[in-house]
Amino acid sequence: MMDLVELTRELAALPGISGDEGLVATYITECIKGHCDYKIDPLGNIIAHKKGAAPAGHTLMLSAHMDEVGLTVCRVCDDGTLKVHAVGGVDAAVVTGRRVLVGSKGLPGITGIVPIHLLEKEDAEKPLKLDSLYIDIGAADKAAAEKLAAPGDSVTFEPGWAELGDGMLMGKALDDRAGCALLVKLIQSDLPCDCVFAFTVQEEIGCIGGRTAAFAVRPEFSLVVETTTAGDLAGVPADKKVCSVGAGPVIPFMDRGAVYDAGMYRRARAVAGDNNIPCQTKEGVYGGTEARSVQQTAAGARVLAVSLPCRYLHSPSCLLARRDLEAEYKLLLALIGEFAG
Amino acid sequence: MELAQLLQRLCAAPGPSGREDAARDEAEKIVNELGLGPCQVTPLGSLLCTLKPGSRPVMLEAHLDQIGLVVTRVEEGFLRFHRIGGSDRRLLPAQRVTVRTAGGPRPGVVASVPPHLKDPDSDKPPRWEDMLIDTGCTPETAKKLFAPGDTITVDGAYVQLAGGRVACPALDDRAGCAAVLWAGKLLAEAGCPAPVTLALCSFEEIGGHGAATAAFAARPGSCYAVDVSFAEAPGIAPEKCGRLGAGPMIGIAPILNRTLTAGLRDAAAANGIPCQVEVMGGDTGTDADGIVATAGGIPTGLLSIPLRNMHTPVEEVELQDVENTARLMALAVMGGTK
Repeated sequence: MMDLVELTRELAALPGISGDEGLVATYITECIKGHCDYKIDPLGNIIAHKKGAAPAGHTLMLSAHMDEVGLTVCRVCDDGTLKVHAVGGVDAAVVTGRRVLVGSKGLPGITGIVPIHLLEKEDAEKPLKLDSLYIDIGAADKAAAEKLAAPGDSVTFEPGWAELGDGMLMGKALDDRAGCALLVKLIQSDLPCDCVFAFTVQEEIGCIGGRTAAFAVRPEFSLVVETTTAGDLAGVPADKKVCSVGAGPVIPFMDRGAVYDAGMYRRARAVAGDNNIPCQTKEGVYGGTEARSVQQTAAGARVLAVSLPCRYLHSPSCLLARRDLEAEYKLLLALIGEFAG
Repeated sequence: MELAQLLQRLCAAPGPSGREDAARDEAEKIVNELGLGPCQVTPLGSLLCTLKPGSRPVMLEAHLDQIGLVVTRVEEGFLRFHRIGGSDRRLLPAQRVTVRTAGGPRPGVVASVPPHLKDPDSDKPPRWEDMLIDTGCTPETAKKLFAPGDTITVDGAYVQLAGGRVACPALDDRAGCAAVLWAGKLLAEAGCPAPVTLALCSFEEIGGHGAATAAFAARPGSCYAVDVSFAEAPGIAPEKCGRLGAGPMIGIAPILNRTLTAGLRDAAAANGIPCQVEVMGGDTGTDADGIVATAGGIPTGLLSIPLRNMHTPVEEVELQDVENTARLMALAVMGGTK
C-alpha cells in the first residue's frame, strides 16, 4: 500500500487542468488496478466499485475531483509571447511572476509583468489583472513560438512540492489531488463494506463530472472529499478564520453550493467523536463543492462534504497539515461503515 | 566552466543588500576556480579581485546584492516583513521564500488573503504591513526559529527557456557579475595588458554606497560598470527599453565619460559585437553614478544587459547578451591600452 503523503505528492505534481485530466486519470488507474473494478465514463470520470467485507446496505459514493485550476493558451502573439485565459478561479496575483509549464510536453515558461520602475505610482497600486497576463517561453517571434505552443495548450504551475514547519505539506493542486490520494488509499485498503469511488473531471469550471458520475452511480449517500479554505492566518479574528489547518477534517453544514444533509452531518460528527478523530465544522458560509451537482442528479442524493482545511487554495502553494490528511483517512474509513453498512 | 553554469551558480546564492555574504563567497569561489587573482572584502562587503596589479587599474564593476525582504516581527506561526529594495508586492502572494535564520535557511510562503477576508470596498493590493509569511510552524516553534532581522529571498529555479534565454531571481545583477568575471577570464587568457580590478559591490539596491566605497579602495583610473536595464516586453513602450538578444546597451549620459563610451561603441563595431544604446539625461540610476564622483573622480562607462521582468522572481536575460557584454568589456580594456 502506498504512503498517503507520497501519493499526494505524486498526484499533485501531475498537470491536469479542467478538461485535460488524462495524466491524472492514468496515474490513478495504475494505482487502483487489481483493488477494484473500474470504468471510465464518457467525460473521463473514473468510477470504481470496491468490494468490502460485507455487501453494502446502502449505495455510498465517495468523490474527489482530478482537475486543477490553471490557464490555457489562447493566442500566439507576434512578439512570440502567449496570451492566456484562466481555467477555473485564478487570481492574477498568484499567477504573475511565476514559472509555468505549457502543453503536453511541459515546456517551461514564465509569466511576465511590466517592471514596477516603469509604472506611474497610481498604477503600481492597482491590482494585477488576468487581462494583461502573458507567458514568455523564450521565443523571439511568432514563428519560433508557433513551433513550441498553440492555442488550446494547457498551462499549469510548476510542481514545487515542499514540506515545511511542523508537519505542513505544500504544493500546487492539493485541491483536490489530496482528495484523490485519500480515495486511492481507501481503494487500496480493506473496507468494511462495498463502496463506490468516483474520481471526477471538470469540477473547477462548474462541477460537471460530479453530475454525470452521480447519474451513473445513483448513490443514496454521497461524500465529497475536498479541500476548503482555512483563514487561520496571524491577526485574523476568530470569527473570520472559518476553519484551521491542523484541527482535523472539516465537516460543513452548509456552503455557497449546498445545504448538506442534516442526518449525515450529525452522524458524521458523532462517528468522529466516537473514534476520537479530531474534526471541525466550517464556521462561515463560503465556497462550494461538487456536492451541489451530486445532490441534484437523477432523483437526488443525500450529500456531505469532508474537507481538508487548506491555506492558499487555487495558488501554486496550497498548504495543508499531514495530520489532517491522516485523520481524514481514518474518518472516511469509519464513515464508509456508517453510511454504506 | 561554461558561462551559463557560472551564472546559475551566482544566482543560486542569496545576497539581499547588506547580507551579500553567501553570494560573495560563491563569487570568490568562482574567482579562485578561474584563477583570476587575489581577493579582498571591503568593510561594506564588496569583493575586490586584483586581476593584474598596478596603479590606477581599470575597474570592471557589477553589483552583487539583490532585492529581498526582512523579517520585522514573529507573529503566531507567521512572519511580518518589509522590503529590501524595490519589490512589487502585488505578485508576492503564494511565492515560495527562503528565510535565512541563525539556524540555517528555512522555507516559507507568502500568505495570500483568502477571498472572504478581502475588503470588498477596496481593490488595492494589501499593504506591506498587512502581509505575512507562513512558516508552517506552530507559534512556539516559530518563536524559537525565526527572529526580526532575518533576511528573506523569493525562491525560483533557474529556468532555461527557448532560444538562449534563461530566467530566475537575482539576474539583476548577477548577470552583470557573471559578465565581469567572464571578462576577467577572457583578459587573463589574453594576457591582460593593463592593471585590472574586478569589483562586485554591495548595497546597490538601497543606494549604491557599496560601489562608491569599493572604488575609493581600488582607486581605479577608469571604470566600466555593468548593470541590467529594461528589455522590450508586452506593455512597455519600445522607446523606453532595449531588446533581448541585441547585445549590451551602451549607456550615453552626461555623467558617463564620452571617451570610454565612444571606445565601447568602436570596439563593438570593429569586432562585430551587436550592441544598442541607452540614452539618459543626467545620471544613470546605477552604481556608475556613485563611482564617477568617488575620490578625485573616476571616468566611467556603463554597459547594461537587457532584462525582462526586473525585480521579480522571473527576471530574464539572453545568455548571448551576457557573453557579448563580457567580450566587449575585455576588448575595451585591451584596446584602451594599445
